[in-house]
Amino acid sequence: MIKSILFWVLAILVAPFFSAVILKVKAFFGGKKGPPLLINYYTLVKLFKKGSVYSTSTTFIFKLGPVVSLGAAVTVLLFLPFGGHPPVFSFSGDLLFILYLLGLGRFFTIAAAMDTASPFEGMGAAREAYFPIICEATMFMLLILFYILTGELRLAAYFSGGQPFGLWQAAGSPMLFVVIAFFVILLAENSRVPVDDPATHLELTMIHEVMVLDHSGPDLGFIELGSFCKLFFYSSIVARLIMPFESGYLALNICLFVTSLLVVYMAVGVMESVVARYRMDRVPKFLLTSFALAFFATVITLEFLR
Amino acid sequence: MNSFFLSIALICCGGFATLFIWRNFVLMKATAVSVISIGCAIGLFDALVKLLHQGSHAASFEYLKLFSLSFQVDGLSAFFLVAIYAVSLLAAVYSFHYLNKPEKALRSAVNYLFFSLLIVSMALVVTAANMIAFMLSWEIMSLSSFFLVIYDYESAENRKAGYLYFIFSHVGAMFILVSFGILYGYSGSFLFSSGSTIPDSAKLLVLILSFIGFGSKAGVFPFHVWLPHAHPAAPSHISAVMSGVMIKTGIYGIVRLYASLSLHTPLFGEIVLIAGMISGILGVVYALGQHDLKRLLAYHSVENIGIILIGIGIGMIGVSSGNPIMAVLGFSGGLLHVLNHSIFKSLLFMGAGVVIQKTGTRTIDMLGGLLKNMKVTGVTFLVGSLAISGLPPFNGFVSEFFIYLGGFRGVALDKTAFVLSIMAIVSLAIIGGLALACFTKVVGVVFQGEPRSSSAVAVDEKGPAMLAPMLILAAVCIIIGVFPRMFITLALKAVPVSGLGYGRIPMEPFMQMTANITLAATVFFIVLLILIALRLVLYRGKTIGKAGTWGCGFTQPTVKMQYTGTSYAASILEFFRPAAPLQEDHPRIRGRFPQKTHYHSHIDDIAELHMVRVVVNPVLWLFDRLRWIQHGDIHLYIGYILLAIVVLIFFV
Repeated sequence: MIKSILFWVLAILVAPFFSAVILKVKAFFGGKKGPPLLINYYTLVKLFKKGSVYSTSTTFIFKLGPVVSLGAAVTVLLFLPFGGHPPVFSFSGDLLFILYLLGLGRFFTIAAAMDTASPFEGMGAAREAYFPIICEATMFMLLILFYILTGELRLAAYFSGGQPFGLWQAAGSPMLFVVIAFFVILLAENSRVPVDDPATHLELTMIHEVMVLDHSGPDLGFIELGSFCKLFFYSSIVARLIMPFESGYLALNICLFVTSLLVVYMAVGVMESVVARYRMDRVPKFLLTSFALAFFATVITLEFLR
Repeated sequence: MNSFFLSIALICCGGFATLFIWRNFVLMKATAVSVISIGCAIGLFDALVKLLHQGSHAASFEYLKLFSLSFQVDGLSAFFLVAIYAVSLLAAVYSFHYLNKPEKALRSAVNYLFFSLLIVSMALVVTAANMIAFMLSWEIMSLSSFFLVIYDYESAENRKAGYLYFIFSHVGAMFILVSFGILYGYSGSFLFSSGSTIPDSAKLLVLILSFIGFGSKAGVFPFHVWLPHAHPAAPSHISAVMSGVMIKTGIYGIVRLYASLSLHTPLFGEIVLIAGMISGILGVVYALGQHDLKRLLAYHSVENIGIILIGIGIGMIGVSSGNPIMAVLGFSGGLLHVLNHSIFKSLLFMGAGVVIQKTGTRTIDMLGGLLKNMKVTGVTFLVGSLAISGLPPFNGFVSEFFIYLGGFRGVALDKTAFVLSIMAIVSLAIIGGLALACFTKVVGVVFQGEPRSSSAVAVDEKGPAMLAPMLILAAVCIIIGVFPRMFITLALKAVPVSGLGYGRIPMEPFMQMTANITLAATVFFIVLLILIALRLVLYRGKTIGKAGTWGCGFTQPTVKMQYTGTSYAASILEFFRPAAPLQEDHPRIRGRFPQKTHYHSHIDDIAELHMVRVVVNPVLWLFDRLRWIQHGDIHLYIGYILLAIVVLIFFV
């Protein structure tokens, strides 16, 4: 238990580091040196030191938004098996709680954006409300597949105790579909290219970044930390899926886990460097592809099992 | 049963008393509200006691020396009674400040009379033990709510809404009557409990016919057409009761007949489940497209009825495939959602009522920024929105959690049950996402941002009798969300009646689930508190500035530039265009000096469109052809009567 809590704290602490890896990869493709790997820590410290300016249009919801979205992301990490190590909490149906808790975070992010009366933020909010609907359908499709394979409804049952390997053994190649579907969800839920471009300079084309335009100081820091944690959550799942092996040694396990995490973050970086952001009306099709993949993975696996 | 009838008598007294003292407006309101509330409180307490101490209580009366009216309170009835009395109690209190026009004193008095009749008839519907008592109470319920809907009868729109509701409730009642007739024809008894002896094919027919009838009351797609018309027309406390509990009597009817017929074929469960999925998704899609706050909430009732039916359908499939855990999870989730929906939907309608009373408009895109002056309404409405979106740690999540768990059990089954379970899970996920989109739209456009028109500028929220019920309901939303143990117990007590035949349900596994929800919610709250403390520390001694919203370089923003609800929902509706066709009225902007233009959009309800085309027009055509029967000659009319008697004597 104490070890699990330590891993939880560690996950929150290292999440900003990994996000910087994406920046490094993008800089590499751009032929630049890029920011230092600790850039996100410097940003957070800088933000936490500052004060804030609030729009006269806003209410308390604007201040509550960052707290709830960070709270949701941090709570979700409590249920995440860190490198195959059992998480702090785990119960039957915890995945439903996790997905809906992330929904709560999203609700407050959107509400905080609508609070500013800014048309740009409203635009971002409308997109933020739209795209995750399809992602959620995909997530539940994958959940059904995992439930069929393991008979359990716990995150820890899929990603700890030598499990992702078991999933690969049981399902075989359809798991490739699962990895791709999860990766697409990762990109969409964490506002990465090709769904959203966190580095663009035009507010009209953004989703997540435009929603936090009016946040400043520690509030913005909370939002940033929250999105690092969320990205870490999804990336760990993909990382465990692509590197399902486990050794008997904790240190080696962690090494394997960190390596695969780096691979996932670098893949995100490569994706951002070589693919252009889709037009907004193309995004649903991209996301529906992931749903189709999840669906076919389930159907094919069922045939295998029969 | 004595305290049950005492509560009913009291509520009736409260209603009738208003007719004698309506000249003194405040006295009339005070009398009605206090007597009705006391009656409801007694009934609520009685129902809770009966629910927790199982065993059925019965009473019967002779009616016209021919029929006996018998009433019975078992677990299922008591569960619905709890919801009915709780919501009616709070709605009565709310009405004290909501009905605030002394010039309409007599009309308010009549409103209280029909309101009390509505409460009484709902209580009688869910306790009726035979068909006669049921149909009688059902008719009183439909008629009293019809008169409540046409409260503002001066407006042609409201009269049309009332008319539509009248037709739907009576066509529905006809279907129920037909199914009861078949039931009686086979069993020869008016008692529901004798239904289990009739042949299976008749049972299925009875169930399907009554499903149409009850579905038209509950607002199941495509029989929901009256709902979005009637709810905006009625006063808000009436909408709260009608949407919160009255439509649930339809759910009660479905479960009651299912229980007493004990037909365990998978087909009916599949029908219920599919109807639930369609209602759930389309209800929330149409809700997204609405511009009228109360119409939007009405469509959300369709959605939530869908969720309830998904739960019940999963339960029925669990029963027919011999999977008791799935059955209990589905039924208890569905029933708990009945209670949950009655809580947050009445909360939302009450909040909408305050908004409409203070601003004088129901159009979402005319409002904005209300949270600044309406703290209590805004915060409770926010809580209600979070709850209806099914987010933890609020009550909507708990019931959906149970339904999900039931659905996942179904994944382990084979063939149809498997496919339907997958569809149920995915549609629940989609419904959840869409509901979140819809309520961020409502909260964001109505309560946040800047006022979009002058009517939303200088508002207040005076009227403690309106605010107190909302605060109570919001508190209950959070209590059920964090400590669902007690409420799941209530739902589980109601489940054994549903014809499962399992006897006693072991409580332990379900208590474990509620304990998990409590644990998770508590952990989340602790994390939240730590973060709030951290935020306070980080902001200590900092300079906090105030400025206008960043307009991305534009320096002359106006409130008209804000994102409206229409544009917020536009891209999602585009996705659902085949099911929700969009009608736009927007003259093109032409020339160098363009004229003033306008934009009007409207989402067509395909059920309404096709019902007019497929049902209404042919029926009108047919009745037009039959007009010669009604020629105004009294002699021939007497002839008709004679003919009817002769036919009845010789052929029946």
